[in-house]
Amino acid sequence: MARIGILLCNCFGEIGRTVDLKSIKARLEADPAVDSVTIVESLCLPGDAAGAHSLIRERGMGKVLIGACSPYGKMEFVKLGLAKEGTDVRTVRTVDLREGCAWVHGKDPEGATHKAANQLDMEIALLQNMRDSKDIGIRVQQEALVIGAGPAGLSAACGLARLGFKTHLVDRGSAPGGLLNVVTRTYPTDEPGPEKIGSLIKETGKNPLIRFYGKTKVSAVKGYAGDFKVSLAGPVGNTTLRVGAVVLATGARILFPQGLFGYGKVKNVITQMEMERRFATGAIGCKTAVFVQCVGARNAERPYCSTICCPLSLKNAMRVMDENPGAKSYVLHRDIMTPGSVLEAYYRRALQKGVQFIRFDADRPPEVRGQDQVSGVEIFDTISGVSRSIETDLLVLSTPFIPDPEATALARMLNIPVDKYGFYAEVYPIHPMETRNDGIFICGTARWPVSSDQAIAQGEAAAIKAAALMGNDTVSALTMSRVPGGKLGHAFADAAACTGCGNCVAVCPYEACRLQRTGNRSVSRVIKVRCKACGSCVSVCPNGAMQMPEQNYRAVGEMIRRAFREVR
Amino acid sequence: MQTAEKKIRTVLVVGGGVAGMSAALDLAGSGHRVHLVESGYDLGGQVAKLDKFYPTDHCAFCPLWTEIRRCKESPSITIHTLSRVEALEKSNGGFRAVIAKSAPVIDPELCICCGRCETACPKGVAHPIWEHAYPPVYLIDRNRCGDCRTCVDACPTKAIGFERQEQKSELAVDEVIWSAGFTEVSLAPLKEYGWGTHPDILTSLEFEAWKAESGENKGAILRRSNRAVPRSIAFIQCAGARDLRLLPHCSAVCCMHALKQAQWVKRRNPDIHCVILYTDLRTVGRDYYEYAMREFGGNGVRLVRGRPSLIYPLPGGDGIAVKFEDTSTQKREIWKFDMVILNGNLKPTLSSQAAGEVIPELDGEGFVRRTAMSCGFVMEPSDVTESAIQASSAALRSITDKN
Repeated sequence: MARIGILLCNCFGEIGRTVDLKSIKARLEADPAVDSVTIVESLCLPGDAAGAHSLIRERGMGKVLIGACSPYGKMEFVKLGLAKEGTDVRTVRTVDLREGCAWVHGKDPEGATHKAANQLDMEIALLQNMRDSKDIGIRVQQEALVIGAGPAGLSAACGLARLGFKTHLVDRGSAPGGLLNVVTRTYPTDEPGPEKIGSLIKETGKNPLIRFYGKTKVSAVKGYAGDFKVSLAGPVGNTTLRVGAVVLATGARILFPQGLFGYGKVKNVITQMEMERRFATGAIGCKTAVFVQCVGARNAERPYCSTICCPLSLKNAMRVMDENPGAKSYVLHRDIMTPGSVLEAYYRRALQKGVQFIRFDADRPPEVRGQDQVSGVEIFDTISGVSRSIETDLLVLSTPFIPDPEATALARMLNIPVDKYGFYAEVYPIHPMETRNDGIFICGTARWPVSSDQAIAQGEAAAIKAAALMGNDTVSALTMSRVPGGKLGHAFADAAACTGCGNCVAVCPYEACRLQRTGNRSVSRVIKVRCKACGSCVSVCPNGAMQMPEQNYRAVGEMIRRAFREVR
Repeated sequence: MQTAEKKIRTVLVVGGGVAGMSAALDLAGSGHRVHLVESGYDLGGQVAKLDKFYPTDHCAFCPLWTEIRRCKESPSITIHTLSRVEALEKSNGGFRAVIAKSAPVIDPELCICCGRCETACPKGVAHPIWEHAYPPVYLIDRNRCGDCRTCVDACPTKAIGFERQEQKSELAVDEVIWSAGFTEVSLAPLKEYGWGTHPDILTSLEFEAWKAESGENKGAILRRSNRAVPRSIAFIQCAGARDLRLLPHCSAVCCMHALKQAQWVKRRNPDIHCVILYTDLRTVGRDYYEYAMREFGGNGVRLVRGRPSLIYPLPGGDGIAVKFEDTSTQKREIWKFDMVILNGNLKPTLSSQAAGEVIPELDGEGFVRRTAMSCGFVMEPSDVTESAIQASSAALRSITDKN
């Protein structure tokens, strides 16, 4: 067994003046597991890492224990420095002797020394008993799958192709474009929707690395990051692909406001999408257009803002006034949601143009007048405190994006979480395109309501994340993680001790554990690529069959025993 | 992928906050080289200084710590702290940049944060740069320093040097991404907000540091004037923002920031009465509106739509008066608060007025025009999530050519 080399940092007396390093050194040297103990003045100053590395190499220390400062001090830099010199930091353990011992127990040197010795002892126990998770390399498939060919999906596919990856772009519709196909103008530039994605669609057709599959659905996905096996069902029959990464850009639906504000019964009460279709067939002739915001949104059922409806109404309100000289536009709203500089300027433009904004309370929504044909709206204006009656011949309802049930089903198949509404959920706000399941990336309105510009940016963001995963021909299970320094290890199921109870399968947040039939019984197996070393399976296994080799039962048990040992 | 054909590019990322770090990590992940220039002592930007961040209500620092370490770990990322881009010019289809690295009195590479300079200094001007700084490093406030040099001998690692000079280096890069984030604007020109007239009128970032769990009050909510527990706090939205006299833009983050702070005040001390005076409650991100609804509910934070016309300290230190119209009742009100938090004084960091500084083309409001690559607040007011998205998108654009 490799013996342990110990480096104790004096930190210019910061540690040594409270913790008796000499007595600790003498005691540790008596431990047969310990090769040598060296007290150094510092480890974090320029040149220290090189010195420590050559000491480690000269002495042939298989495992290294460092007693110095806290990880929030300079300890992580010490490890980084050692790693850069070439030390294998997976077998380097550290103990916080400065902040955790010397500083907090400055008035009790004996107690501080005792605590320091115990902690060093514990880490020796761990180093002695730790075993290596056997790493595996995966051959990464150098192709990507993008599901959904709206603005987000097109942008993701083009991004991946520009980075040199063969990309399969799948859509259930016959042509790419998504919702933008029916949007005649997009805010805030008034660029027609088909033009905005026109260049991306053209690029999709031109770039030989992109293959578009129309009228195609994903019927099954198996595998893990770097190597997914995907089955597609399309007009040409079933296709099987092997891809390294999957980008989900499946889009969202828009709420159909049946029964709200007379929709479906009263003529000329329409949705924003219907308005777009009317614009597409020609100008909208009307004297007054009234836009109602937050129809079916920001209520108890859907307590969220759909992001795009306010700017959409600003755009269409101005357009009605442009195309019908003398016409008036009213926007009935609860808050005008135009965050940022571009949209706020757009809001100012609408105000200057004379679009009228009337604020209403969620408790007192507008009432529609007119039996067959809309004739007006009654609204209580909360800002002036008066009821108003507006004559109108067109009422436009702004309804929110809602999750597509098909997308939610796809999330289940791909084993990624959705939020409480059914939109794809990211792993953390700082990693907005990444999901719990490595190798699967999300973007566009399927993730959360966004504008077409934001969807295009998200597609690019997802593309570069997917490309980073596929950048290497092989990827190791231990380094494939967002954890600095790689992950701790991966869980290991001892087939001899496993009774196949399935507790680990139920508790694993990453679907890394699965039961496998061997002979006449089922035993647990861990998919190493998926395991994040959280240890959940270890804690629920009744038989001790699940282990983290780096911190196994024997190691942790011995650590606990030593934590409370009297030292002299 | 045909790796042989891949051209490795070098990208200069200016600003090491969430946006800059995300862009740098994505570029490094795709095998490209990055020079990450940060003006502060270390990476992390404004978010690293926050006590909490929305919508998770987690400490802001931990998730950033991971990103900071990943940047430091990456062999493809060269980090230039305490540095700024002094000159930038086009050359050979790319750019030639001059980076000026300032030399603080205490060299952060050598400082071990032992605090002996702090003990030795007779004027008390040596202190940690800020509570969350990682790694913890000391600085000496030269403006108040008596130049006695006692600290020089006290320092065990010889980290203190008063004669160090700024260093300049030259870089050749293929592309530049601007991600310099935001800075606070003084609210003094808008006299009605009373900023600077009373210690209990704070900007929201001042309040964030004041109430921080790692700050001097250990998370207790106290008045800055007398350290008494305030009975009431007003959060004033759009103070400076959406105001053609100062900042025409909406800062996009302040509504959620105020909701977060009010919620934390309530969590720390439910007896403190909190009122948010807002114009539009802009809560567009995932679960942001629900986050706001929590305030309407049992949480006891009152949301009032109105914009104050005058905020002034009452004579005798008896609180701050806020004069406004409650637009839901059309009544003019004067309410008394113990503290007033002003939200909205954030502007993009780059400034075309700065002499000698080479910057990209800015629009009238100070945001980087789309002729240059940018992400985060210098591009468009954005929070952590939006910044990370823009950063990845900019990273992709900086290494690919649109076909």
